[in-house]
Amino acid sequence: MTELGLRFILSLTQIAVVVLIVIVTVLILTLAERKVLGWMQDRMGPMEVGPYGILQPFADAIKLFFKEDIVPAGANKFLFTAAPLLALIPAFIGFAVIPWGPDWTVELNGIVYKPFVISDINIGILYILAFASLGAYGIILGGWASNSKYSLLGGLRSAAQVISYELNVGLAIIGVIILAGSLSLVQITNAQSGWFWHWYLFAFPAPQIFAFVVYVISSVAETNRVPFDLPEAESELVAGFFTEYSGLRFAFFYLAEYANMILVSCIAAAMFLGGWNAPYPGTILDLLGFPSLAWIENTMWFAAKTYFFLFLFFWLRATLPRLRYDQLMRFGWKVMLPIALANIVVTSIAVYLFPNS
Amino acid sequence: MDRLKQWLKTITLYEIVVGMKATLSHLLNYNPVTLQYPHEKRTLPDNYRGMLALLRYDDGTEKCVGCDLCEAACPSRVIRVVSAEVPGEPTKRYAKEYYMDMTRCLFCGMCVDACPVDALGMTREFEWAVYDKRQLHLNKQQLLAIGDRSFPVREKRLELQHPNTAFFNVAFKHVPQKPV
Repeated sequence: MTELGLRFILSLTQIAVVVLIVIVTVLILTLAERKVLGWMQDRMGPMEVGPYGILQPFADAIKLFFKEDIVPAGANKFLFTAAPLLALIPAFIGFAVIPWGPDWTVELNGIVYKPFVISDINIGILYILAFASLGAYGIILGGWASNSKYSLLGGLRSAAQVISYELNVGLAIIGVIILAGSLSLVQITNAQSGWFWHWYLFAFPAPQIFAFVVYVISSVAETNRVPFDLPEAESELVAGFFTEYSGLRFAFFYLAEYANMILVSCIAAAMFLGGWNAPYPGTILDLLGFPSLAWIENTMWFAAKTYFFLFLFFWLRATLPRLRYDQLMRFGWKVMLPIALANIVVTSIAVYLFPNS
Repeated sequence: MDRLKQWLKTITLYEIVVGMKATLSHLLNYNPVTLQYPHEKRTLPDNYRGMLALLRYDDGTEKCVGCDLCEAACPSRVIRVVSAEVPGEPTKRYAKEYYMDMTRCLFCGMCVDACPVDALGMTREFEWAVYDKRQLHLNKQQLLAIGDRSFPVREKRLELQHPNTAFFNVAFKHVPQKPV
């Protein structure tokens, strides 16, 4: 009984810490996006709340929290309420299998657990993909339940887009899975230790450069970000699927979008850029004689890689215009899909020819 | 060869890379054009046409003679003048009531041009946002108050005038005169 209780408390602590980290990152991202976009467009971004506007996320959160909660007339109340949660939960639940730091095991009162991953399940990446697909339900149902033509159009677009690009995401990471021989993100990251040319982006028998490009483009599309933000195209559909949402429900959708961004960035970092592995073997802190602090360096590398991808999202948003709908579909099915499939074939042949590398 | 070049550019995402280089260069050479408005204000040009105001002479009498020319000149019918004789001086007229509906004003300055006695002036005020549109319907007292606070230096009332003569365009000697 005490063992179960301790296990429960440990898991809850880990979950609380991870959720806290994700929410804090979302807060940082909302500010960082506006700041980076502003700087790239010769503006300043928010400057009023706090020094240089750094308290803007809190002001936004407080404002959203106290806004009136409007349910439009004719809306399906149950689905209208459920949709933000349906979008939010899949976005957060994927973080359960992300390895944030080295694959250590800690023993506490006879219970062995891994401090840097909530649960190291052997189908980690499949689990993430499954829940990421469920996230589309939140968007579609939210669009439908709002009883508004803009929301409905946004939801329908999102359905088609997420289905098209989920496929490419799944196919792009198959190359990595073939190389690693495992679906667990912990093992995939472990297999990339050593110098940076062991990262699957550059790994020897079959460098996954094409898969990486396909993955990044498809993940931008999957998170409904510019230039693939057709579900919420401001200039066409007001705000797309969350046109009718306000207050806390709107905040949930917003949170889900940013949590999804963080999730796909974490997966990209873990699968293609070696996760928490430094570009050199081992860690500097280990060499300096602090092996118990080495996890800080590893975690920092993971954060740096993740933030690089998040910056890439903002960078793309500042640069590119939105695609037309037929261009989006053609690009997904006629360009991304063949590249991803060819990558699988090439990777398989390479792994067959060099089975021991 | 050209098509091969084109194809290479497509698969290497050449144009996107060029665009992203442009945005990154703006990020690195951060030089915002933003003016933090309430905290810092831009310098207005010398001929800035801001809020309209009614002016007085230095002895406090109103310049306006109630001739209605501003009302006639106004393209958006902002101005309404009720002209009347000065009590006790039947040869002189003044504006008994003077209304400006600033919600319609387009700040063209034609009324100022039209005024024969230079009783109208354009100030450099522009922060006239209000919560109620009716507050922009200004009467004579308000317009005179704007003039009083915006033009602290007033020109002297001409002493050589005969009570029966009208005088035109004698004020603002320091600025170039209007063509006659």
